[in-house]
Amino acid sequence: MTRTLRFPAILLSAAFIAAACSGGGGGSSSAPAASEPGASASGGASGGPVTSGAAGEINVLSLWGGSEEEAFKKVLADFTAKTGWGVKYEADRQTYSTTLQSRITGGNPPDIAIIPGIGFLRRFAKDGSLKKISDLGVDASTLTQDYPEGFLAAGTVDGELYALPAKYNNKGTMWFRPDVYKAANVTAPKTWDEYKAMLETTKDKPGAMALGAKDDWNLTDWFESIYIRQSGVDAYDKLFSKDGDWSDPSVQKTVDTMLEVINDKYVVGGITAAVGRAWTDAIAQVFGPTPKAGTFYEGGFVGGIATGQTNKDLKIGETIDWYPFPTLGNTEDVTTFGGDVVGALTESEGAKAFVQYLITPEANKVWASTGAIVSPHKGVGTDAYPNDLVVREAQSLQSAAKIRYDGSDLLPAGIQGEQMGQALQRAIAGEKVDWADFQTRVKAAWDAE
Amino acid sequence: MAVVTPGGVDAAGVATTAAPATSPATPIAGRRWDRAVILFLGPTALLMLIFLIYPTLYTIALSFNRGRRGEFTEWVGLQHYIGLLNDKSFINLSTFPPSGAIWNNVLWAIFYTGFVIFLGLVVAVLASRVRYESIIKAVVFLPMAIAATALAIIWNFVYAPDPNIGLLNAILDPFTSGSISWLGNPALVNAALIAAGIWGSVGFATVILSAALKSIPSEVLEAARTDGANERQIFFRIILPMVSLPISVLAVTLLVNVIKLFDLIYVLTNGGPGVSSRVIAFTMYNESIPGGQFGRGAAITVIMLLLLIPIMAFNIRRFRSSRVV
Repeated sequence: MTRTLRFPAILLSAAFIAAACSGGGGGSSSAPAASEPGASASGGASGGPVTSGAAGEINVLSLWGGSEEEAFKKVLADFTAKTGWGVKYEADRQTYSTTLQSRITGGNPPDIAIIPGIGFLRRFAKDGSLKKISDLGVDASTLTQDYPEGFLAAGTVDGELYALPAKYNNKGTMWFRPDVYKAANVTAPKTWDEYKAMLETTKDKPGAMALGAKDDWNLTDWFESIYIRQSGVDAYDKLFSKDGDWSDPSVQKTVDTMLEVINDKYVVGGITAAVGRAWTDAIAQVFGPTPKAGTFYEGGFVGGIATGQTNKDLKIGETIDWYPFPTLGNTEDVTTFGGDVVGALTESEGAKAFVQYLITPEANKVWASTGAIVSPHKGVGTDAYPNDLVVREAQSLQSAAKIRYDGSDLLPAGIQGEQMGQALQRAIAGEKVDWADFQTRVKAAWDAE
Repeated sequence: MAVVTPGGVDAAGVATTAAPATSPATPIAGRRWDRAVILFLGPTALLMLIFLIYPTLYTIALSFNRGRRGEFTEWVGLQHYIGLLNDKSFINLSTFPPSGAIWNNVLWAIFYTGFVIFLGLVVAVLASRVRYESIIKAVVFLPMAIAATALAIIWNFVYAPDPNIGLLNAILDPFTSGSISWLGNPALVNAALIAAGIWGSVGFATVILSAALKSIPSEVLEAARTDGANERQIFFRIILPMVSLPISVLAVTLLVNVIKLFDLIYVLTNGGPGVSSRVIAFTMYNESIPGGQFGRGAAITVIMLLLLIPIMAFNIRRFRSSRVV
């Protein structure tokens, strides 16, 4: 008897552990078994304030914190004032995808969700979780007058618009310290060769360039900015679509171009240190009280972080400024951008009211006036922004011949194994990346979507 | 502490408080299956059914499915398993030493478990000989009170590559040329993570082993000393054999922790640089939630389950054959 019953007992114990570990199952996220190092790793959703309205209340889930959250709350307050709908606002930066996924799976989706990546958007659109914009009382065909084509395309899945552009940032901004450049007697470079010459000149005064590649999306942004300028918009569109071919020589060529500047000679502290460094620490290397380097590349949001968090003494034009990413071969005025989109997960009256409100120029002007974002709405003039850094960023996006969505965010979410940014981490450390292998896995992920 | 002979299993089983509720420790004759049994076992069995058995079976079934949204959408057979075995970030035996998430878990199992027990024993034995034992144990135990996520953030500062942020590099700065990128170098990252994990768990081992040491009757030690044994002999011939059972229980607990290890990796490196510090549970999360591949995530869970079964089998056997501490 002892023998025969032993196996079920083993199975039960094992089942307990497995259940404690399985996250996918029935909607509830994992409940770690009661023991020590490795208890829960929840990021903690912060329940925001409820603005009560006469008409009812909607649930809004976003991933914004800090100044972005403050700015969005002003928009929400204006929405309540104009429409009478109250808003229950929830923000969860760290575990956003987990929270949204489990609320959808659990049958309790928020009415409105801010969606960060497009691969993510496609998944929810194909699942049927996201509602079509045209079903929310908005004539999708008229939106082309108000929003840039490259951004609407990003929110479109199988020919249907599922999400509206909310805010965007130029990712073709090269941040620098004017005082360092001045001391080294260099001016803002325009071409890639001038850029390399600038790095050569500033490399000991006090350092050329800061890089925080532990956050591997910094590397994907580098890659995309070079690729779109070197190989052109059409090649870019193709690479980050279902028909893309990562074994194409243009991919390795872009990596080689990256390595011309991302190397031990120009990156302060060297490449291995950079791979272990958070990107915000790299910002501090340039914009801290004593600069260790003169240049840092990332999107327009660097300005807000540097002046708001890193160093409040920064002066625009004297100790912080930016110039467009240097040109490479292709002379067309193109840039990549990153941005969040807004989608509706229910067809409630409140959700409809919010979507309809969000496409008005007034809503976008309220938002732009906070200085936290650049509004993609064409009805927002540059006079709506509070400072010069944002005004110029908005201008650069509006004047560009073509803008394209951040490519790595367009890739399917389910690439098995090593992701694009992780492959680039290896590439800058001097390893040879097998792009044909990456192509196989990207293709499989596209096919599985 | 008495080790019971196989013939005495049943009798000893009654005394074993840690036996699972459904364990057949108490012999049940047919006529005793009365209302009382159902009344006592029923609620537990029902809870187990809902929260353990059902999710487990669901997960196993899901691992053969595409599993969009975590629901059954399309049967794919063994595709996820085959994919995982060919995934170099999951297991890569083509190089030496091997790499991949499973291999990293092996490294964790060996070094984390080994060092935690070794250091725990050392601290417990040495601390028991000084007056301020409780202070030492409290200090060593302190990291246990820190949530794993907070612990990871602390170590993020310790390991930062720039001497003005990273504590370790600040200490090493005068002796090295250039800083060491603990988390940015694939050759160092696993050792660095394991060290952080050890720091967080030694206190647990110390407390368990210290209690075990206290339970050794002083007569035994006095008898050994009277017989002329030196301290070294006493440690290896008396103390170590007498705490071998708590050590094995500790080892099992730590091994289970290793297999479900996630938070430290997630916060400190997110599996990087590249994929060099991924472990099985992290890969499961990565495929399921950000990747949306719930079927593949379920397949990884099943692999975890298969790895856990021998450990649990060992553990249960141990519980059944003898009393702990």
